[in-house]
This record gives sequence, structure tokens and C-alpha cells, in this order.
Amino acid sequence: MSWWSRASIRVRLTAWYTAVLSAMLVVYASATYVAVRHEFREQLEDQQAAAAFGHEPDADSEERMEEQLHEILVVLVLGLPLIVVLSGSGGYLLARRALAPIDNLSAEARRITADRLDARLTAPNQNDEVGRLAAVFNDTLARLESSFDQLRRFTADASHELRTPLSVIRGIGEMGLRETRSAPEYKDAIGSMLEEVDRLTRLVDTLLQLSRGDAGTLRLAREAVDLGEVARDVVSSLGILADDRRQRVDVHVRGEAVVNGDRLVLREAVTNVVDNAIKYAPAGSAIDVSVEGAPDRVSVTVTDEGPGIPAEHRDRIFDRFYRIDEGRSREMGGTGLGLAIARWAVTAHGGEISVAQAGAGSAFRLIIPRRAA
Amino acid sequence: MLRVLVVEDERKLADVLAAALQAERYDVVVAATGEEGFYRANAELFDLVLLDLMLPRRSGLEILQTLRQRRIETPVLVLTARDGVDDRVRGLDLGADDYLVKPFALPELLARVRALMRRGRPMDALRFKAADLELDVVARRVVRGDRLVDLTVREFELLEYLLRHQGHLVSREMLARDVWKEPRRATPLDNVIDVQMARLRRKVDLEGVPRLIHTVRGVGFVLREGEP
Repeated sequence: MSWWSRASIRVRLTAWYTAVLSAMLVVYASATYVAVRHEFREQLEDQQAAAAFGHEPDADSEERMEEQLHEILVVLVLGLPLIVVLSGSGGYLLARRALAPIDNLSAEARRITADRLDARLTAPNQNDEVGRLAAVFNDTLARLESSFDQLRRFTADASHELRTPLSVIRGIGEMGLRETRSAPEYKDAIGSMLEEVDRLTRLVDTLLQLSRGDAGTLRLAREAVDLGEVARDVVSSLGILADDRRQRVDVHVRGEAVVNGDRLVLREAVTNVVDNAIKYAPAGSAIDVSVEGAPDRVSVTVTDEGPGIPAEHRDRIFDRFYRIDEGRSREMGGTGLGLAIARWAVTAHGGEISVAQAGAGSAFRLIIPRRAA
Repeated sequence: MLRVLVVEDERKLADVLAAALQAERYDVVVAATGEEGFYRANAELFDLVLLDLMLPRRSGLEILQTLRQRRIETPVLVLTARDGVDDRVRGLDLGADDYLVKPFALPELLARVRALMRRGRPMDALRFKAADLELDVVARRVVRGDRLVDLTVREFELLEYLLRHQGHLVSREMLARDVWKEPRRATPLDNVIDVQMARLRRKVDLEGVPRLIHTVRGVGFVLREGEP
């Protein structure tokens, strides 16, 4: 058993093939021998019957037949192993040819490492078993490559985001120590350092929350949450920002909008999306928050009047630290994680978040199933 | 004088805590290890213990548990770098009176300390006064000088909160949690708070009268007569 499981496929294939062939040859040879002997016996009996009717009996014929039978037996018994050996070796060679593409694949696959995920496996024939295996493997590689890419980009972005406030803090501190300054100047310097500390704190908290979400260690509460109420709540707390920019935010609730989920997490998702709309939509425009209850799900749609999100960015704006306009969003005090948090919050409830063009602006839609997954 | 024991192994942080508490006229004792903290809490009388959970040799949770087993009921405010719900629940289950997640703002720490010291004493005043500003919680009425100030619900809550912490700094995080009821630190409310505060200020601190609401850059706000 252990030898068997350690042997290569080629050896096992050949062994099986040879065993099956031998068994069939033995059956075939035995059947042939039996049939021939039967035939001889019948001939012999015929001759004996003829002899009984007065013909001269042929004394040698029985002996000759036995001799012929013996010869046939010898040919069969000696020929059989020879055929088995010959076809076994042939099978062994054929098996190597058939399995060679797999050996090539494994040699190629061995060269692919985390640093070289862009390499792909080649198969001579795309449509045979090996070709299909290579295709499946390449598919997996492509997915791996993209998630590795994402991870690399995220690490680079995160360290950039964390280093920026750190270098500001350091710079201000070093400048403050360089010469003696007045008390108000010191207060200003310290205050500005503390502002950066706040920014760092919020960033770290948000990153922690996301990584807990990734690791699945964050437990969501399961309570009845009225998303209409959540939307009104969010708008009443953020409304003052819209007010400041002379924007109008309307909330429409149609149907019953209760889902089973975590109120704080859902509110965070809605807050981030509405906050974005207020931040980026032009002053004096209108923002619409529509909550619609369907039998199986509740959707929250936040529609603004511009400037809209170019199509090429739509897939990626939910990625962590992805920004359409680097300078502008940083200036507005964003962490670059708002929509990532929103997406996490929605998918944690088994829902979906998406963005579409709506007139000159965009419409963010959060869909939460009633029976959260 | 109220006595506070600070059990914290990170020396810089212990110094900052001690200085902040001394500035508020508390008598502060610092213990740099779990052993020492446990010994002092056992042997002396304190009004409050600030306890770091991650200490060398003897963990904060262990100390807390042993103190409570010995029926030492000094209020304990736990400082922790871990903010998982389980850690908090465990700390509170073992007898902590409150917890604060690092990094915390000093105004917040001082507010929690005040709250714990007040515990068991009637504290919920229903009328507040600062200079010529008066706020009546029951009547929902605010008067500055001889003029009635018309406030929205949120502005009223904000002003009440500032008055309850009169003379003490209030951070944006405290406001987000206590006035806006948003406990998640990742939610963006800072801009909302700033705009709301600007409006409140326009209504309360009119031109020609002394300013009461002050912004302390990088820290938060304070309601106080005279200079911030």
C-alpha cells in the first residue's frame, strides 16, 4: 500500500494497464485452448465412429492431435508473457508521453513565486485535460495576483497615510525647539501637533475596525433597525454641514424599512455616504436620500447633483485609500477610508453597495437584505 | 485633598497623567509596576485608582480582581490599549468602574475622573450659570444678560454639556459620544461639531459681551469666564 501510494502515476498507470492486459490475455488464451481442444476431440470422435462402421482406424491420429494441442499450449504459455512485457514497456513509454505536459506544468509552476505572480502556465493543447487544468490554475493565479497587488497597494497607501501626520508632528516639534518663541506661537505649534494626533488616532481606529472586519473577529449586533429612522438620524446630524453649504437634503421613506442588523455599523455606512455627498456636491445643490422597503430587502439611495464619478473610477472608489483627487479630498479632512468602511458595513450584513451615474451627479445605493446573512 | 493612585509603567505617560491631575488639585501617587501598585492600593487609602491593564509582571486585570476580592472598593478607572468589546466587558466584570481606550485626550480623562469622584453624590443640577449666562434644564430656557437666547435642540444640549463641564476642557470625541451619541471613533463628526459650535457661539457670545465659549486648538472647547 505504501509503495503503491508513493509510486508515480506513470508507474501505477503502467502496472494497472499490464495487470488488466495479462488478465484478459489469460482468459483469451485459456478460451482459445479449450475451444481448440474441444474441436480436436470432436474430430477424434468422428474418426472413431467411422472406424466402427468398418473403416480402418487411424492409430496415429489421436497421438498427433495430442501433439498439436501441446504445441498450441506451449505457444500460448510462452507468447503470453512476451506480449505482456512488450505491451507493458510500450504502455510505460506512452504514459510518459501522456504525462509529460503535467511534468512541464509542475516545473513551470515551481518557478512562480509571490514575487512573480504575473507568470502563467502554458499548455500545448488548450482543450484537453491538461489544458483545462492549466486554465483553472491560471485563473487562480490571476485572482491571487490581483489580491497580492491590492495588499501591496494598501500597505504602501497605509504607510503613506500614517507617515504624513507623523512627519508633520516631527517637523513642527523640531521647528518649535530651534529657537525661543512666544507663548502664543508655542500654543499654536502644540495645537497643530495635537490636530495631527487626532487624525492619526482616527486613522488607526478606522484601520483597526477594517482589519477586524477582515479577520472576522468583529461581532455584529442583531437587532431590528429601521433604516428610515437611521437615514433621518444621519441627516439631522449632518444636515448642519449641508446647511452651511446651502445644500438641501431630503429624506424619503417608502415602505417598511426594518432590517435585522447592527444599528451603529449601518448608521456609520449611511453617515459616510451622506457625508461624502455633502462634501463633494456643489454648494446650493440638492441631495436626496431615499429609503425603499422591498419584500426581501431595503435599499438606501443617496443621489447628488454633481460632479459625478468618472466611469473609470467607479469600480475602485470603494477600495481603501482610493481617491479620485488626491489633494482635494485630503484638504477636506477625509481619511480615504469612508467608502471602504461603508462597503465593509454593508457586505457584513450580506448586502451590496454600488454607485451609478444619476444626471450630472451620482447615486450611491446600499442594499441590505431583510434576513441578513 | 482627593488622592489618586496612578498605576502605569510607561514613565512618560505616568508623568503626564500626574501633572494633569495635580493641575486639577488632586494628590497624586505614581506606581510604576503592578507589584507596587497592588501594594499601595492595599496599604493606603485612595479616592480613585487609574490602572493600566498591560503592566510588567502583574497584569492590571489581576490586580483589579485581587483588590475586589479583598473588598477594597476604591473606584478604578481602567486605561487600556485594547478596545475589543470583550476586553472592556471583562474589565467591567472584574470590578472596574469605567474604562478609557488609549490614546485618550486628557480633557476626557479628567471628565471621567470627576464623574467617578462625584459618584454617589447628588450631581445633577438643573440650573447652570456662568457670568451672565443662565441655563434652565427643566424650562429649556437660556438667558444671556437680560435677553432670551433661542436655541435649537442640539444647540441646547451642547451648551448644557459645556456648562456641566464649566471651566474644563471638552474634546470633540466627548461631544461626539455624549451629545451626538456616536460611540464609534471612525465616524466623521468633527466638521459637524465645529459648525454647530460656531452657530452656538454666534447666539451666545454676542458682540460687545465677554466671550464664554473658547476653542483650544487641537484639544477642543471650554466654557469659562475670562481667558481660556
